[in-house]
Amino acid sequence: MIKAENLYFSYTGSPPYLLAGIDFVIQDGEYLSIVGDNGSGKSTLLRLILKFIRPLSGVITCDATRIGYVPQRKDFANTDFPITVYEALNSYRSILKLKDSAVISNTLELVGMADYANALMGTLSGGQSQRVFIARALLGQPDLLLLDEPSTGMDQHSQQDVYHLLRTLNEQHGVTIISVEHNLNAAISNSTLIYHLKDGQGHLCTPQQYIDEYLTDRMSAHAHA
Amino acid sequence: MHMLKYAFMQNALFVSVCISILCPCIGIFLVLRRNSMISDTLSHASLAGVTIGLLAKQNPILGAFVFTSICGALIEYLRSYFRKYTDLILTIVLSLSVGTAITIISSGKLRASADAFMFGSILTVTGFDMVMVLALTVASVLALVLLYHQMVYISYDEEAARIAGVKVGLINYVFSILVASAISASIRIVGVLVLGSMIALPVATALQFEKGFRSTLVLSIVFSFVDIMVGLFASYYLNVAPGGFTALVSVAVLFLVMASLRVTARLRNGAGVNA
Repeated sequence: MIKAENLYFSYTGSPPYLLAGIDFVIQDGEYLSIVGDNGSGKSTLLRLILKFIRPLSGVITCDATRIGYVPQRKDFANTDFPITVYEALNSYRSILKLKDSAVISNTLELVGMADYANALMGTLSGGQSQRVFIARALLGQPDLLLLDEPSTGMDQHSQQDVYHLLRTLNEQHGVTIISVEHNLNAAISNSTLIYHLKDGQGHLCTPQQYIDEYLTDRMSAHAHA
Repeated sequence: MHMLKYAFMQNALFVSVCISILCPCIGIFLVLRRNSMISDTLSHASLAGVTIGLLAKQNPILGAFVFTSICGALIEYLRSYFRKYTDLILTIVLSLSVGTAITIISSGKLRASADAFMFGSILTVTGFDMVMVLALTVASVLALVLLYHQMVYISYDEEAARIAGVKVGLINYVFSILVASAISASIRIVGVLVLGSMIALPVATALQFEKGFRSTLVLSIVFSFVDIMVGLFASYYLNVAPGGFTALVSVAVLFLVMASLRVTARLRNGAGVNA
C-alpha cells in the first residue's frame, strides 16, 4: 500500500507549491496511471514516492519491500556509455545480491529481448532500451513497479508490446504498477486507477470516471470554442 | 635490452607495470562520468603533497597520497555546495593545491628538489617508492574488484544504483581515495604535469572500439601498458623525461587507432557497396 497524506512540495522550498495537499491511498495490485498537463508535477510525485526528494510537509509511506523503477528515457542521456545489455543487467543483479545468473536470460525472455544480450545499450531503439530498463526493474522481482512515461519515443507497435507486458505483470504476477503517463489512451486502456493532477491538486478515479469527468468536459469545451 | 641491467631501470619498469594497470582502472570511471578533469586537478594536488612530504622529511609519495586523498574528499564534499557550478570546485581545489606547492617551494625550506615530480623521472624510483606503489596498486585493484558492479552503475545510471541500495555517497568518497592512490603511484615516473594523460588517454583510445564495459576496460589496460612501456624505453634512449614522452605516445596511439578504425570502416563500407 502507498499512502500520501497532505503532501506539499515546491522545488524552491516556498510557495507557489507544485503539489499542494496531495492525499491518496493505493492498494496492492493496482495499476495506477498519473496524468496531467506538462509541469503539473507528475514526475515529481513519482520521485517523492521513490524518496529521491522529500516533501516540504506531509507524509508518504510505501509498504513495498522490492521496488523497481524505469526512468524516463528522455532524461537518460548516458546512451554513449559502453555497456552491453547483459552487462547492464548482470551488474544490477550483482548489486541486488541475486545469486542465480539465469534470472537475466529469463527476464530478457519475458520482455522479448533474449536475442539482444550482447548488444550495446547505445545501439538499441527507444522501445528496445525501454524493454531492457523494464527487465532491469524486474530482476529483483519487485512488488511495486514505478515507470516514468514508459512509451516516450516509441512507435505504435513497441508501445503495444510494452503495455501488454505491463498488464501481464499486473494481472498475472500481481505487481503493483504506478506509471506517469502523457499517453492518455494508454492510461485509460491499461490502468485500473487514474490519478489526475491539476493546479497542485490530485483526484483519484477509475478510467471510466476520468473519461466522464475530464475528457467529456474537455471535448465539449473544445466544441464550444 | 641491456638497460634492464641497471637497478634504477628495473625499479622504473616495476612501477610502470603497476601504474599501467592502475591508471586505466581508475580512469575508465573518471572518463565515463565526464570527470577526467578531476585527475588533472588532483595531480596538481599531488605536487602539493610531495612538497609537504619533503618539508616534513617523509616519503614524498606518502605525502602525495595523503594530501591528494584529502583533496579528493574535499571535491566530493563541495559537490553538495556547488551543485550548479561544479567546475568551480576544481578551481577551488586547484588554487588550494598549487598555492600550497608554490608557497612551500618558494620558501626555500625544501632540502630536496621537487622538479623530478613535475616531469617524471626514471632515475629516482627508490625501494620504498616501489613498496608504496605496489601496496597502493594491490589495495586499489582489490577495492575496484569488490566495488566493480556498484561503480559501474554509479557511472552508468546513478538513480538506478540508489534504488538498488548502493551507498553512492560513500562509494564516491572511496573512489576519490582510489584516484589519489593512482595519482600518487604515478607521479614518480609520469610526473604531475601530464598525469591526466595516463588516466584518460588509454581509455579514450579503448572507447574508439565501441565495445562493452569489460572489453573497454581490458583494452584500456592494454593501451596503457603499450603507452607507458614505449614511453619508458624511448625516454631512456632519447634521454628525455618519461612523463612528457609517454604523453606524446598516448596521443599518437589514440590518433593512430582513430585513423585505422576510420580507414577500416571506409574499406568495409566500400566493400559493402561493391557487393
